[in-house]
Amino acid sequence: MRAVLVGLGAVGARSARQLLSSTVVDGLLVLARRPHHVAPNIASLDGRGTVELAELSAEAFIRELPEAAVVLLAAPVTAPYAGLAVARGVPVVSVTDAPEDVRSLLALGGDARRHGVAVVAGAGMAPGLSCLLAAAAAEGMDELHEVHVATVGTGGPACARRRHAALRELVEEWRDGAWERKVASSGRELVWFPELGGADCYRTSRADPLLMAEAFPGLRRATTRAAASRRDRFTSWLPMLRPPHPEGAVGALRVEVRGRRQERASTVLLGANGRPALVAGTVAALAAELAAARLLKPGAGGLASLAPNPRELLAELSRRGVRTEVFEGAGPTPTS
Amino acid sequence: MGDSSPNGAVRRRGANLRLLTRALVAVALAAMAAVVVRLRGTGGTPPHRGGWRELSTEDFVEPVEEP
Repeated sequence: MRAVLVGLGAVGARSARQLLSSTVVDGLLVLARRPHHVAPNIASLDGRGTVELAELSAEAFIRELPEAAVVLLAAPVTAPYAGLAVARGVPVVSVTDAPEDVRSLLALGGDARRHGVAVVAGAGMAPGLSCLLAAAAAEGMDELHEVHVATVGTGGPACARRRHAALRELVEEWRDGAWERKVASSGRELVWFPELGGADCYRTSRADPLLMAEAFPGLRRATTRAAASRRDRFTSWLPMLRPPHPEGAVGALRVEVRGRRQERASTVLLGANGRPALVAGTVAALAAELAAARLLKPGAGGLASLAPNPRELLAELSRRGVRTEVFEGAGPTPTS
Repeated sequence: MGDSSPNGAVRRRGANLRLLTRALVAVALAAMAAVVVRLRGTGGTPPHRGGWRELSTEDFVEPVEEP
Protein backbone atom coordinates (compact mmCIF):
# COMPACT_ATOMS: atom_id res chain seq x y z
CA MET A 1 0.00 0.00 0.00
CA ARG A 2 1.09 3.54 -0.72
CA ALA A 3 0.74 6.39 1.77
CA VAL A 4 0.77 10.11 1.03
CA LEU A 5 2.56 12.15 3.67
CA VAL A 6 2.07 15.92 3.63
CA GLY A 7 4.92 17.66 5.46
CA LEU A 8 8.28 16.31 6.52
CA GLY A 9 9.10 18.30 9.63
CA ALA A 10 10.12 16.75 12.94
CA VAL A 11 6.85 14.78 13.32
CA GLY A 12 6.48 13.96 9.62
CA ALA A 13 10.02 12.53 9.41
CA ARG A 14 9.38 10.29 12.44
CA SER A 15 6.08 9.13 10.97
CA ALA A 16 7.76 8.39 7.64
CA ARG A 17 10.36 6.17 9.31
CA GLN A 18 7.69 4.30 11.25
CA LEU A 19 5.48 3.84 8.20
CA LEU A 20 8.33 2.52 6.07
CA SER A 21 9.33 0.01 8.72
CA SER A 22 5.77 -1.29 8.99
CA THR A 23 4.33 -4.23 7.10
CA VAL A 24 1.33 -2.22 5.93
CA VAL A 25 2.95 0.53 3.85
CA ASP A 26 5.43 -0.28 1.11
CA GLY A 27 5.56 3.06 -0.65
CA LEU A 28 5.51 6.68 0.47
CA LEU A 29 4.95 9.89 -1.43
CA VAL A 30 6.09 12.95 0.50
CA LEU A 31 4.55 16.28 -0.46
CA ALA A 32 6.34 19.30 0.96
CA ARG A 33 6.04 23.06 0.42
CA ARG A 34 9.80 23.36 -0.05
CA PRO A 35 11.06 19.98 -1.29
CA HIS A 36 14.71 21.10 -1.45
CA HIS A 37 14.59 21.79 2.33
CA VAL A 38 13.49 18.26 3.20
CA ALA A 39 15.52 16.38 0.59
CA PRO A 40 18.25 15.47 3.17
CA ASN A 41 15.52 13.96 5.41
CA ILE A 42 14.34 11.82 2.51
CA ALA A 43 17.85 10.51 1.97
CA SER A 44 18.01 9.43 5.63
CA LEU A 45 14.82 7.37 5.44
CA ASP A 46 15.69 3.74 5.56
CA GLY A 47 13.06 1.05 5.22
CA ARG A 48 11.67 -1.51 2.93
CA GLY A 49 9.55 0.79 0.75
CA THR A 50 10.08 3.33 -2.00
CA VAL A 51 10.03 7.04 -1.20
CA GLU A 52 9.22 9.84 -3.63
CA LEU A 53 9.29 13.57 -3.01
CA ALA A 54 7.22 16.24 -4.77
CA GLU A 55 6.19 19.85 -4.21
CA LEU A 56 2.92 20.29 -2.34
CA SER A 57 0.04 21.60 -4.43
CA ALA A 58 -3.64 20.75 -4.68
CA GLU A 59 -3.06 19.39 -8.21
CA ALA A 60 -0.21 17.09 -7.13
CA PHE A 61 -2.25 15.94 -4.13
CA ILE A 62 -5.35 15.11 -6.21
CA ARG A 63 -3.21 13.33 -8.83
CA GLU A 64 -1.82 10.96 -6.20
CA LEU A 65 -5.10 10.15 -4.41
CA PRO A 66 -6.22 7.23 -6.64
CA GLU A 67 -3.06 5.31 -5.63
CA ALA A 68 -3.16 6.30 -1.95
CA ALA A 69 -4.29 3.97 0.83
CA VAL A 70 -4.07 6.73 3.43
CA VAL A 71 -3.17 10.42 3.70
CA LEU A 72 -1.15 11.57 6.70
CA LEU A 73 -1.26 15.33 7.20
CA ALA A 74 1.80 16.38 9.21
CA ALA A 75 1.75 20.02 8.13
CA PRO A 76 -0.65 22.88 8.94
CA VAL A 77 -2.73 22.47 5.76
CA THR A 78 -5.43 20.29 7.23
CA ALA A 79 -8.98 21.04 6.13
CA PRO A 80 -8.90 21.50 2.34
CA TYR A 81 -6.65 18.51 1.74
CA ALA A 82 -8.62 16.28 4.11
CA GLY A 83 -11.84 17.15 2.27
CA LEU A 84 -10.30 16.25 -1.09
CA ALA A 85 -9.11 12.89 0.23
CA VAL A 86 -12.38 11.93 1.94
CA ALA A 87 -14.39 12.81 -1.18
CA ARG A 88 -12.30 10.20 -3.03
CA GLY A 89 -12.69 7.57 -0.31
CA VAL A 90 -9.18 7.87 1.14
CA PRO A 91 -8.77 7.80 4.94
CA VAL A 92 -7.06 10.79 6.55
CA VAL A 93 -4.90 11.11 9.66
CA SER A 94 -3.95 14.58 10.90
CA VAL A 95 -1.53 15.52 13.65
CA THR A 96 -3.03 18.97 14.13
CA ASP A 97 -3.82 20.17 17.65
CA ALA A 98 -5.50 23.46 16.65
CA PRO A 99 -9.18 23.52 17.66
CA GLU A 100 -10.34 25.20 14.43
CA ASP A 101 -8.55 22.56 12.31
CA VAL A 102 -10.05 19.76 14.39
CA ARG A 103 -13.53 21.29 14.06
CA SER A 104 -13.17 21.35 10.28
CA LEU A 105 -12.05 17.70 10.33
CA LEU A 106 -14.97 16.68 12.54
CA ALA A 107 -17.28 18.37 10.03
CA LEU A 108 -16.16 15.76 7.50
CA GLY A 109 -17.73 12.99 9.63
CA GLY A 110 -20.80 12.56 7.42
CA ASP A 111 -18.74 12.24 4.23
CA ALA A 112 -16.31 9.90 5.95
CA ARG A 113 -19.09 7.55 7.09
CA ARG A 114 -20.64 7.63 3.63
CA HIS A 115 -17.32 6.54 2.10
CA GLY A 116 -16.56 4.11 4.91
CA VAL A 117 -13.27 5.76 5.87
CA ALA A 118 -11.79 7.20 9.04
CA VAL A 119 -10.74 10.82 9.52
CA VAL A 120 -8.49 10.87 12.57
CA ALA A 121 -8.31 14.38 14.00
CA GLY A 122 -5.35 14.91 16.31
CA ALA A 123 -3.08 11.89 16.11
CA GLY A 124 -0.07 13.25 17.96
CA MET A 125 0.96 13.42 21.58
CA ALA A 126 -1.90 15.70 22.74
CA PRO A 127 -4.38 15.19 21.31
CA GLY A 128 -3.66 11.64 20.17
CA LEU A 129 -1.90 9.70 22.86
CA SER A 130 -3.89 11.75 25.38
CA CYS A 131 -7.15 10.43 23.84
CA LEU A 132 -5.94 6.83 24.05
CA LEU A 133 -4.85 7.22 27.68
CA ALA A 134 -8.17 8.81 28.61
CA ALA A 135 -10.09 6.02 26.87
CA ALA A 136 -8.01 3.33 28.61
CA ALA A 137 -8.59 4.94 32.01
CA ALA A 138 -12.30 5.43 31.31
CA GLU A 139 -12.79 1.73 30.53
CA GLY A 140 -12.41 0.84 34.20
CA MET A 141 -15.05 3.35 35.34
CA ASP A 142 -18.83 3.11 35.57
CA GLU A 143 -19.24 6.86 35.05
CA LEU A 144 -16.75 9.28 33.54
CA HIS A 145 -16.93 12.84 34.86
CA GLU A 146 -13.74 14.74 34.08
CA VAL A 147 -10.68 14.54 31.82
CA HIS A 148 -7.77 16.94 32.35
CA VAL A 149 -4.78 16.91 29.99
CA ALA A 150 -1.44 18.61 30.62
CA THR A 151 1.75 18.60 28.58
CA VAL A 152 5.28 19.89 28.79
CA GLY A 153 7.60 20.36 25.81
CA THR A 154 7.24 20.76 22.06
CA GLY A 155 8.23 18.81 18.96
CA GLY A 156 9.61 20.63 15.93
CA PRO A 157 9.49 24.33 14.96
CA ALA A 158 5.87 24.14 13.69
CA CYS A 159 4.82 22.67 17.04
CA ALA A 160 6.69 25.41 18.93
CA ARG A 161 5.01 28.12 16.83
CA ARG A 162 1.62 26.54 17.42
CA ARG A 163 2.21 26.41 21.19
CA HIS A 164 3.25 30.08 21.13
CA ALA A 165 -0.08 30.97 19.47
CA ALA A 166 -2.04 28.62 21.75
CA LEU A 167 -0.86 30.56 24.81
CA ARG A 168 -2.63 33.73 23.60
CA GLU A 169 -5.75 32.42 21.80
CA LEU A 170 -9.09 32.15 23.57
CA VAL A 171 -9.42 28.77 25.29
CA GLU A 172 -12.60 26.71 25.24
CA GLU A 173 -13.22 24.34 28.14
CA TRP A 174 -16.02 21.81 28.38
CA ARG A 175 -18.10 22.33 31.52
CA ASP A 176 -21.50 20.75 32.26
CA GLY A 177 -22.44 20.21 28.65
CA ALA A 178 -21.41 23.63 27.31
CA TRP A 179 -18.30 25.42 26.15
CA GLU A 180 -16.83 28.06 28.47
CA ARG A 181 -14.40 30.62 27.13
CA LYS A 182 -11.31 31.26 29.22
CA VAL A 183 -8.25 33.45 28.84
CA ALA A 184 -5.18 31.55 27.63
CA SER A 185 -2.13 31.41 29.92
CA SER A 186 -4.39 31.68 32.99
CA GLY A 187 -5.40 29.05 35.57
CA ARG A 188 -1.98 28.10 36.92
CA GLU A 189 -1.75 24.53 38.19
CA LEU A 190 1.28 22.62 39.43
CA VAL A 191 1.33 19.36 37.47
CA TRP A 192 3.55 16.39 38.31
CA PHE A 193 4.80 14.74 35.11
CA PRO A 194 6.42 11.31 34.78
CA GLU A 195 10.25 11.55 34.95
CA LEU A 196 10.30 15.35 34.61
CA GLY A 197 8.65 16.22 37.94
CA GLY A 198 6.60 19.35 38.60
CA ALA A 199 5.86 22.15 36.17
CA ASP A 200 3.46 25.08 36.31
CA CYS A 201 0.83 24.59 33.62
CA TYR A 202 -1.64 27.09 32.19
CA ARG A 203 -4.72 27.00 29.99
CA THR A 204 -3.87 26.65 26.33
CA SER A 205 -5.90 26.53 23.13
CA ARG A 206 -5.67 22.89 22.11
CA ALA A 207 -8.19 20.41 20.73
CA ASP A 208 -8.15 17.84 23.55
CA PRO A 209 -11.41 19.03 25.20
CA LEU A 210 -13.15 19.06 21.81
CA LEU A 211 -12.21 15.46 21.11
CA MET A 212 -12.84 14.28 24.69
CA ALA A 213 -16.34 15.80 24.76
CA GLU A 214 -17.08 14.15 21.43
CA ALA A 215 -15.70 10.75 22.51
CA PHE A 216 -17.26 10.55 25.96
CA PRO A 217 -20.94 11.54 26.02
CA GLY A 218 -21.97 12.71 29.48
CA LEU A 219 -18.53 14.11 30.29
CA ARG A 220 -18.85 17.05 32.72
CA ARG A 221 -15.45 18.73 32.41
CA ALA A 222 -12.58 18.62 29.95
CA THR A 223 -9.59 20.92 30.13
CA THR A 224 -6.11 21.12 28.67
CA ARG A 225 -3.02 22.87 29.96
CA ALA A 226 0.59 23.30 28.87
CA ALA A 227 3.70 24.04 30.88
CA ALA A 228 4.93 27.58 30.29
CA SER A 229 7.40 29.98 31.84
CA ARG A 230 6.69 33.61 32.72
CA ARG A 231 8.59 34.65 29.60
CA ASP A 232 6.48 32.33 27.43
CA ARG A 233 3.27 33.87 28.74
CA PHE A 234 4.48 37.45 28.79
CA THR A 235 5.70 37.27 25.18
CA SER A 236 2.85 35.14 23.80
CA TRP A 237 1.14 38.21 22.29
CA LEU A 238 4.33 39.14 20.41
CA PRO A 239 5.82 37.41 17.36
CA MET A 240 8.32 34.72 18.40
CA LEU A 241 11.42 36.63 19.46
CA ARG A 242 13.81 34.00 18.13
CA PRO A 243 13.45 31.06 15.74
CA PRO A 244 12.41 27.84 17.50
CA HIS A 245 14.84 24.94 17.93
CA PRO A 246 14.91 22.24 15.23
CA GLU A 247 13.48 19.89 17.87
CA GLY A 248 12.47 20.31 21.50
CA ALA A 249 13.94 18.35 24.42
CA VAL A 250 12.22 15.52 26.28
CA GLY A 251 8.59 16.32 27.05
CA ALA A 252 5.79 14.62 28.91
CA LEU A 253 2.05 14.15 29.02
CA ARG A 254 -0.30 13.68 31.97
CA VAL A 255 -3.95 12.68 31.69
CA GLU A 256 -6.16 12.81 34.78
CA VAL A 257 -9.47 10.99 34.52
CA ARG A 258 -12.11 11.30 37.25
CA GLY A 259 -15.34 9.39 37.58
CA ARG A 260 -17.12 6.79 39.66
CA ARG A 261 -16.36 3.13 39.98
CA GLN A 262 -18.38 0.74 42.11
CA GLU A 263 -20.23 3.63 43.79
CA ARG A 264 -16.96 5.35 44.75
CA ALA A 265 -15.19 8.39 43.37
CA SER A 266 -12.22 7.26 41.32
CA THR A 267 -9.23 9.08 39.82
CA VAL A 268 -6.76 7.52 37.39
CA LEU A 269 -3.57 9.34 36.42
CA LEU A 270 -1.79 8.15 33.30
CA GLY A 271 1.21 9.73 31.65
CA ALA A 272 3.91 9.39 29.04
CA ASN A 273 7.27 10.88 28.45
CA GLY A 274 9.68 11.14 25.56
CA ARG A 275 10.58 13.48 22.74
CA PRO A 276 7.23 14.96 21.67
CA ALA A 277 8.04 14.73 17.95
CA LEU A 278 9.01 11.07 18.31
CA VAL A 279 5.91 10.20 20.35
CA ALA A 280 3.63 12.14 17.98
CA GLY A 281 5.25 10.57 14.92
CA THR A 282 4.81 7.08 16.33
CA VAL A 283 1.15 7.67 17.22
CA ALA A 284 0.45 9.21 13.80
CA ALA A 285 2.13 6.36 11.93
CA LEU A 286 0.21 3.73 13.90
CA ALA A 287 -3.06 5.57 13.26
CA ALA A 288 -2.22 5.81 9.55
CA GLU A 289 -1.46 2.08 9.36
CA LEU A 290 -4.77 1.21 11.02
CA ALA A 291 -6.68 3.67 8.83
CA ALA A 292 -5.05 2.28 5.67
CA ALA A 293 -5.98 -1.26 6.72
CA ARG A 294 -9.54 -0.01 7.45
CA LEU A 295 -9.24 -1.11 11.08
CA LEU A 296 -10.60 2.16 12.51
CA LYS A 297 -14.30 2.96 12.77
CA PRO A 298 -15.62 5.02 9.82
CA GLY A 299 -16.29 8.66 10.66
CA ALA A 300 -14.37 11.64 12.01
CA GLY A 301 -13.04 11.94 15.52
CA GLY A 302 -10.10 11.44 17.80
CA LEU A 303 -8.44 8.11 18.52
CA ALA A 304 -10.67 7.62 21.58
CA SER A 305 -13.70 7.61 19.26
CA LEU A 306 -12.35 5.71 16.28
CA ALA A 307 -10.07 3.04 17.78
CA PRO A 308 -12.05 -0.17 18.39
CA ASN A 309 -9.77 -1.06 21.32
CA PRO A 310 -7.62 1.80 22.68
CA ARG A 311 -5.73 -0.55 25.03
CA GLU A 312 -4.49 -2.59 22.03
CA LEU A 313 -3.12 0.59 20.48
CA LEU A 314 -1.40 1.54 23.74
CA ALA A 315 0.14 -1.93 23.91
CA GLU A 316 1.41 -1.56 20.33
CA LEU A 317 2.79 1.91 21.11
CA SER A 318 4.54 0.41 24.12
CA ARG A 319 6.11 -2.20 21.82
CA ARG A 320 7.27 0.66 19.58
CA GLY A 321 9.00 2.41 22.45
CA VAL A 322 6.43 4.92 23.69
CA ARG A 323 6.73 4.92 27.49
CA THR A 324 3.41 5.19 29.28
CA GLU A 325 3.12 5.34 33.05
CA VAL A 326 0.56 5.22 35.82
CA PHE A 327 0.67 7.22 39.06
CA GLU A 328 0.35 4.88 42.02
CA GLY A 329 0.31 5.05 45.79
CA ALA A 330 -1.48 8.36 46.30
CA GLY A 331 -4.14 6.63 48.38
CA PRO A 332 -7.88 6.51 47.91
CA THR A 333 -9.59 9.34 46.06
CA PRO A 334 -11.47 11.66 48.41
CA THR A 335 -15.21 11.34 47.95
CA SER A 336 -16.45 14.27 45.87
CA MET B 1 -22.97 80.64 30.38
CA GLY B 2 -19.32 79.55 30.40
CA ASP B 3 -16.22 81.70 30.20
CA SER B 4 -15.78 82.58 26.47
CA SER B 5 -12.60 84.64 26.91
CA PRO B 6 -9.24 83.39 25.48
CA ASN B 7 -8.08 82.67 29.07
CA GLY B 8 -11.18 80.52 29.68
CA ALA B 9 -10.48 78.41 26.59
CA VAL B 10 -6.89 77.85 27.75
CA ARG B 11 -8.14 76.82 31.22
CA ARG B 12 -10.66 74.36 29.72
CA ARG B 13 -7.96 72.83 27.49
CA GLY B 14 -5.67 72.45 30.50
CA ALA B 15 -8.41 70.76 32.53
CA ASN B 16 -9.17 68.34 29.64
CA LEU B 17 -5.48 67.52 29.30
CA ARG B 18 -5.20 66.81 33.05
CA LEU B 19 -8.26 64.53 32.89
CA LEU B 20 -6.81 62.65 29.91
CA THR B 21 -3.42 62.29 31.62
CA ARG B 22 -5.05 60.97 34.81
CA ALA B 23 -7.15 58.49 32.82
CA LEU B 24 -4.07 57.25 30.97
CA VAL B 25 -2.13 56.86 34.22
CA ALA B 26 -5.05 54.93 35.76
CA VAL B 27 -5.27 52.60 32.75
CA ALA B 28 -1.49 52.03 32.79
CA LEU B 29 -1.54 51.23 36.54
CA ALA B 30 -4.46 48.83 36.08
CA ALA B 31 -2.66 47.11 33.20
CA MET B 32 0.51 46.76 35.29
CA ALA B 33 -1.48 45.30 38.19
CA ALA B 34 -3.22 42.86 35.82
CA VAL B 35 0.14 41.76 34.37
CA VAL B 36 1.57 41.18 37.86
CA VAL B 37 -1.50 39.21 38.98
CA ARG B 38 -1.52 37.16 35.78
CA LEU B 39 2.19 36.37 35.89
CA ARG B 40 2.28 35.43 39.57
CA GLY B 41 -0.90 33.51 40.39
CA THR B 42 -0.99 30.62 42.84
CA GLY B 43 0.25 27.15 42.06
CA GLY B 44 -0.38 23.96 43.98
CA THR B 45 1.40 21.45 46.13
CA PRO B 46 3.45 18.51 44.90
CA PRO B 47 2.15 15.01 45.70
CA HIS B 48 3.35 13.81 49.13
CA ARG B 49 2.82 10.12 48.40
CA GLY B 50 3.02 7.79 45.43
CA GLY B 51 4.97 7.87 42.20
CA TRP B 52 4.95 6.99 38.52
CA ARG B 53 5.32 3.36 37.42
CA GLU B 54 6.05 2.44 33.82
CA LEU B 55 3.33 0.37 32.16
CA SER B 56 4.31 -2.67 30.13
CA THR B 57 2.44 -4.23 27.22
CA GLU B 58 0.82 -6.72 29.64
CA ASP B 59 -0.65 -3.87 31.70
CA PHE B 60 -2.97 -3.07 28.81
CA VAL B 61 -4.56 -6.52 28.69
CA GLU B 62 -7.08 -5.46 31.36
CA PRO B 63 -8.68 -2.01 31.76
CA VAL B 64 -6.41 0.43 33.59
CA GLU B 65 -7.95 0.99 37.03
CA GLU B 66 -7.32 3.19 40.02
CA PRO B 67 -4.30 1.68 41.81
